[in-house]
Amino acid sequence: MLKDVTIGQYYPTNSIIHRLDPRTKIHFTLLYIVALFLVDNMIGYGVAFATLITITLISKIPVNYVLRGVKGLVFIIMITVAINLFMTPGTVRYQFWIFKITEEGLKVAVFMALRLIFLVTGTSLMTLTTSPISLTDGIEYSLKGVPGVRKYAHELAMMMTIALRFIPTLMEETDRIMKAQKARGADLDSGNLIQRAKSLIPILVPLFVSAFRRADELAIAMEARCYRGGENRTRLHALKFGRIDIYAYATTFLMIGAVILTRWI
Amino acid sequence: MKNNKTKFLTRVGVLSAIAFVLMYIDFPIAVLFPSFLKFDFSEVPALLGTFSMGPLAGVVIVFIKNVLIYLIKGSSTGGVGEIANFVISAAWMIPVGIIYKHEKSKKNAIKGMAVGAVTMIVVAAVANYFVMIPLYSKFMPIEAIIATGSAINPAIVSVESLILLGITPFNIFKTAVISLLTALIYKKVSPVLHR
Repeated sequence: MLKDVTIGQYYPTNSIIHRLDPRTKIHFTLLYIVALFLVDNMIGYGVAFATLITITLISKIPVNYVLRGVKGLVFIIMITVAINLFMTPGTVRYQFWIFKITEEGLKVAVFMALRLIFLVTGTSLMTLTTSPISLTDGIEYSLKGVPGVRKYAHELAMMMTIALRFIPTLMEETDRIMKAQKARGADLDSGNLIQRAKSLIPILVPLFVSAFRRADELAIAMEARCYRGGENRTRLHALKFGRIDIYAYATTFLMIGAVILTRWI
Repeated sequence: MKNNKTKFLTRVGVLSAIAFVLMYIDFPIAVLFPSFLKFDFSEVPALLGTFSMGPLAGVVIVFIKNVLIYLIKGSSTGGVGEIANFVISAAWMIPVGIIYKHEKSKKNAIKGMAVGAVTMIVVAAVANYFVMIPLYSKFMPIEAIIATGSAINPAIVSVESLILLGITPFNIFKTAVISLLTALIYKKVSPVLHR
């Protein structure tokens, strides 16, 4: 359960989508969510679906990876569909025993299910094609454009980067501490929630102590290299918008435009 | 302890990493509460950060934790669950931090945790009623959400009763367990922090 954290969702391939600027992908995802909320007919969903398929094909990510996010939702989607299908009043289409399927119910059920599926797959496409560290970069650059937050963009991104860097280290550490306590006879896997919470103390205390030690050592190391915040700091890999990003933005606005247009068709 | 800014950055970063790991291994306690309420211990590092570095640290930790969960684990709710977690946890950390910052005594720590827990429970109820459940209902019908509640407690029949009988008891339980755990851990960790 702990092992798959480090891998995360990122699926590296050498596609155009992967090479897009992370900012482009973040903005696309936000606009895509907005577009999904604007959709009110099937043609609009057709546009959203076409966009998803196109991106998936270009990004060379296996379809079952993209659909993985939906798997966890199957149950919720089924309840949603069932309730909408049987509970919506309207013209009765089919009837057996006490169940009635209405035309309106059918429409609403399909509509809700599609919205849920598109939302989850759309947002997971971003995390599938972008590594967490370049997403952090993208967030830092994007926040620099927001007045009020601009001052803290660098600090926030730095803290996120540190967190990302320490996740595997601390997980290894947790594992080691758990084994050490088990070797001393600690019982970690049984009991009710209260007992489990109690058994966490001998794990969390050494974990926090070592985490704080690592943090303070890192702070000293950073200051020894003259770290003093984001001002006048230069980067090794500066983000640059390329030609493909312009195309991507154009496509995004085309999609949003198409979705809005379908509202009047 | 000169130049605390870098130390603040690294400590908050590391605590966020722990919070992330603890949130990653969340588990629903469907026997007692509706299954969409997941229990995890990720607020322990956030509370610890709040005690040692003030309310801002706590808020930043819960923020980074949720962003990372969204980026790495992926969201099953399109981000709504993460935003909910951030708002509610922040409402918990801020009073704790403000009260404890004022005077760092045992009495104030207990007072802070009590006020923080109450604020969190109230904010959670209000936010769920006015924002989260209406937002969720864009994807799934209200009846489906209520059904997950009435599967546990037949008295849950509406959004109001879901919040009063499902979400609020869960939050009382959660804040109690986590506050107690943090108090026990902070007592042992704090000598290291103030060296």
